[in-house]
Amino acid sequence: MMNRGVLMRSVLAWAAMAAAFTGACLAANRAKPARAAPRSGLPAAVTTPPAGPVMKVAAVDAGRRGRVHVEAAEIDKQLAARWEEYAIEPSPPLDGGQFVRRIHLELAGRIPTYDETVAFLRDTASDKRDQLIERLLASPDYVSHFYNYWADVLRLSERPQKNLLFEPYLAWVKDSIRTNRHYDDWVHEMLTADGRLWENPAVGFQLRDDGMPLPYVDNTVRVLLGTQIGCAQCHDHPFDHWTQHQFYELAAFTAGTRTRLGGAVKSAKPGAEAKPVPPPAVRTLVKEARDSKGKKTAALVQFIQANATAVSFRDTPLKLPHDYEYDDAKPSDPVERELLWGKVPASVRNADGREQFATWMVARTNRQFARTIANRLWKKVMGVGLVEPVDDFREENPASDPELLEHLTDLVLRLDFDLREYVRVLVSTSAYQRRAVIHDTTDEQPYRYPGPALRRMTAEQVWDSIVGLIARNPWSVQRPTAAEIADVAGVDLRTATIDDVEQQFDRFVTEYGPGAYQRRLNKVCGYRGQWLLKASEMPAPLPLGHFLRQFGQSDRETIEGGRTVPTIPQILAMLNGPITHAMLEQGSVAYETVMEHDAEKAVDVVFLTVLSHEPAADDRQAAIEELTAADPATGCGNLIWALLNTREFLFIQ
Amino acid sequence: MRISPIIADDRVARRAFLGDVARAAFGLSLVDGAVSRSAVADATATAAGGVNVITLMMRGAMSHIDTFDPKPGREEQGETGTIATKLPGIRFGEHLPQLAGLADRLAIIRSLTTETGAHEQGTYLMRTSYPQINSIRHPSFGSWAVHVLGKRTRDLPCYVLVGNGNEHPGCGFLDPAVTPVPLADPERGLENITRPGYLTQANFERRLALADRIDHDFKQRYAGRQIEAYDRMYADAVRLMGSGDLAAFDIAREDEKTRERYGRSRLGQGCLLARRLVEHGVRCVEVEMGGWDMHRDLWEDLPGKVGELDAAMAALLEDLEARGLLSSTLVVLATEFGRSPTINENAGRDHHPAVFSAVLAGAGVNPGVVHGASDAGGRSPDRDAVSVADFNATIAVACGLPWEKEFVAPNGRPFKIANDGKPIAAVLAG
Repeated sequence: MMNRGVLMRSVLAWAAMAAAFTGACLAANRAKPARAAPRSGLPAAVTTPPAGPVMKVAAVDAGRRGRVHVEAAEIDKQLAARWEEYAIEPSPPLDGGQFVRRIHLELAGRIPTYDETVAFLRDTASDKRDQLIERLLASPDYVSHFYNYWADVLRLSERPQKNLLFEPYLAWVKDSIRTNRHYDDWVHEMLTADGRLWENPAVGFQLRDDGMPLPYVDNTVRVLLGTQIGCAQCHDHPFDHWTQHQFYELAAFTAGTRTRLGGAVKSAKPGAEAKPVPPPAVRTLVKEARDSKGKKTAALVQFIQANATAVSFRDTPLKLPHDYEYDDAKPSDPVERELLWGKVPASVRNADGREQFATWMVARTNRQFARTIANRLWKKVMGVGLVEPVDDFREENPASDPELLEHLTDLVLRLDFDLREYVRVLVSTSAYQRRAVIHDTTDEQPYRYPGPALRRMTAEQVWDSIVGLIARNPWSVQRPTAAEIADVAGVDLRTATIDDVEQQFDRFVTEYGPGAYQRRLNKVCGYRGQWLLKASEMPAPLPLGHFLRQFGQSDRETIEGGRTVPTIPQILAMLNGPITHAMLEQGSVAYETVMEHDAEKAVDVVFLTVLSHEPAADDRQAAIEELTAADPATGCGNLIWALLNTREFLFIQ
Repeated sequence: MRISPIIADDRVARRAFLGDVARAAFGLSLVDGAVSRSAVADATATAAGGVNVITLMMRGAMSHIDTFDPKPGREEQGETGTIATKLPGIRFGEHLPQLAGLADRLAIIRSLTTETGAHEQGTYLMRTSYPQINSIRHPSFGSWAVHVLGKRTRDLPCYVLVGNGNEHPGCGFLDPAVTPVPLADPERGLENITRPGYLTQANFERRLALADRIDHDFKQRYAGRQIEAYDRMYADAVRLMGSGDLAAFDIAREDEKTRERYGRSRLGQGCLLARRLVEHGVRCVEVEMGGWDMHRDLWEDLPGKVGELDAAMAALLEDLEARGLLSSTLVVLATEFGRSPTINENAGRDHHPAVFSAVLAGAGVNPGVVHGASDAGGRSPDRDAVSVADFNATIAVACGLPWEKEFVAPNGRPFKIANDGKPIAAVLAG
């Protein structure tokens, strides 16, 4: 700890800095030491560490470490053979500081704190990397980070349509990651779930393209099988072998998916959803709501429709479009179910079409399902897929290393679709634990993985890293669960009167109506128009002008819509925006970290806090000059700001 | 009519020639079309003149039948009525009264056609004239325009997007100097553009110099396009902070009457911002309006949406004209594809790439023309089919861009501004 004099000087230095940002009076700080009278502009919920565990995450089995190493070594062996074959020099191994930063970003979606970095660097255990990997994979930050990943793939937004209340589905996806649901089970459940969103949130997957049964098939195949058959919706695929007839044959499996409560089914036009007629109670309620002619009529009708939105399935024939123009069938002919490849598994031969489709999809014999996810996560970890884009597998677009891809596919199968374990293997390879390498995605040469490809942090990684420099508790609010939504949204349509509906509607609007969640965030973790909160717990999608969107977070409309390119507004936010300055407030993690150390060490502490390594000798000298040239407060502020505005901060090396 | 690949119409040739003259006059040259040397890269190469482009991009696919290509009296028309326009015999959907009154200034194309019915791919094609593929990112039209015509001011960006999503192709393989600047909300303009109050200019510069010094090793290790693009953007951002012309981004400086006239919608205020930007020397602006993907309950949303478009575009055209800017500014209204004439089970319209409409006005455009037609049911082009590439080639000619010229991308392959498109002479000013 610092002696009193140093402490005092340091307090003054920080107080001056904070005063500069908050406009607080320096004299007041001199009279009362900062700790005794925090003048922080940061909300208390953010500066106080969480009282208990944020969430309980499925444990990682340290006992399987040996097996992980064997699998990792096998991958390394294959890559080494390629390096030799193509005379490629692998990138140098990561040093401790580089590793601790990269692995936190990879598994926890944020840079490590000062304490985490120093503890790791000081640890002398030979298995400290394994221990860290295992700890991070079982942390709430892992759940948050992988939720962000899937939110981008699955286009998770809170209101994809006006009558779809998607919060339960979003919470359920997050929870499936927390409990480490195996991928095949998870997908099968999503493809076959029945019920309302808050009763069975897994129905969200089938509802994401509600009212668009053909795009649903297109998007499902694109995400889960890495195959683009979408063009064949309207005509034979121009540069792949898929025909429009094949598209319809596949769509015939799920053609009986209904998304409205109802009894009798109106005959559907080709390609359109078979639309159930709403039960009398729903029709009556909607009519009564419309007749009331109040200010909230439209919203009330949507609320009733949200309650009438429920997934169910009954086999329904599908017909070709009326303008079908190929010779192999006539327009409006009924279509027989046919898979893209493979056979319907024997166990579901007598089941309905949707069950057959789902069971075939996730079956071990459908290697493309395993291959797609193997390639996806390989890309997530190494930066470049063996097939690129990850959703465009076709004969003319072969894998850069087919043998390796098949090996990884086998690995996913051996691990029984335990994706967290798969990621554990990938980050344990020596190829991963090497310095990043520049790879131009438009390069015609296949990437041979001399190390992971250099990437900018994702928007969420930038955000969560910066929030981590500010907030002791970045989890002050968590998104609502299915049970919480059920409590305020659920109405029993068979018995409810319009008054009951209205009463429940008012409760819902208070808790989760437009802007309600935002107001709650303002109150708990708001700071100058920003919420100091994990990206995963933010409203979705965020408005275009939000820091996360400036940095390229997805609009949640396009599959994997996230981007990592520079823009002017993004840089202005780093240079002048409120968020990069919040960490200079008293009570922020960065502030407290420097406070806890000798002033002489300030430069090293700041470097370790922001960049996860000590400065090189000449950088240290430059930084010390900076600190002594100006007053120390300004100097320290300048240094933190400077480090945040380096390319090294944003790029993962 | 279609223009043959070799013999360009007289009007096409003349406009292309004007473009050459403009470039010669402003000292800009194309060295064998090599894209590594952009006119913009040379900071001194600012061209005060030349054409500006404002594009209104209707995302989600705007229904042609409910807007510029109605089918009165037919089942396909649904609930949207039709109105007469300034052009004899030409009708619009009923929610476009102001543009109907300005129809004699517009060139309306009713026979656009494309293959893709997917939003992302369709929009990419509309913006670049090329299909979206993995191995290369093509430049958007605005980047091409700035690349060839040069910047008009030193400090302001040359190309601005208002309300655009993530998927904009930006500068593609062209020099990062022609990358567009995205603005989220026209009401808020360019945020965080000024230094925090406590920070002096000298201190700000100290900080930048310190960052640069500390970053030196990292930048050296990873020297390449990714890092360079960031370096460039930092330099642009800092230069922009020092610009004396930041008022260009501030629509609050417009009087209430003007702001009302454009409509208080995102699009309306975006169009107003676009006009301010062009006035201050920004060459290209694209304003995006989402929400056209009306698969369900179309007539609940459509009247309001089309009304916003009507007010915004009409105000933009009149305002540009009043300020003497319309003759040097091309206004483009585009969308990724059309919507199905058949009304679906959910009272909506689905995707319909086979035929759709777009509108041009202003610089280089032959006003009062309706080009092409869809068939009776609005399902396919009936005559003069126009591909997306043809449409963009037409825009290129209207701007005086060399549509036939091949530019060599960094991967060594030749590309043209509008791919294989051929300009439509009938739409171009004589």
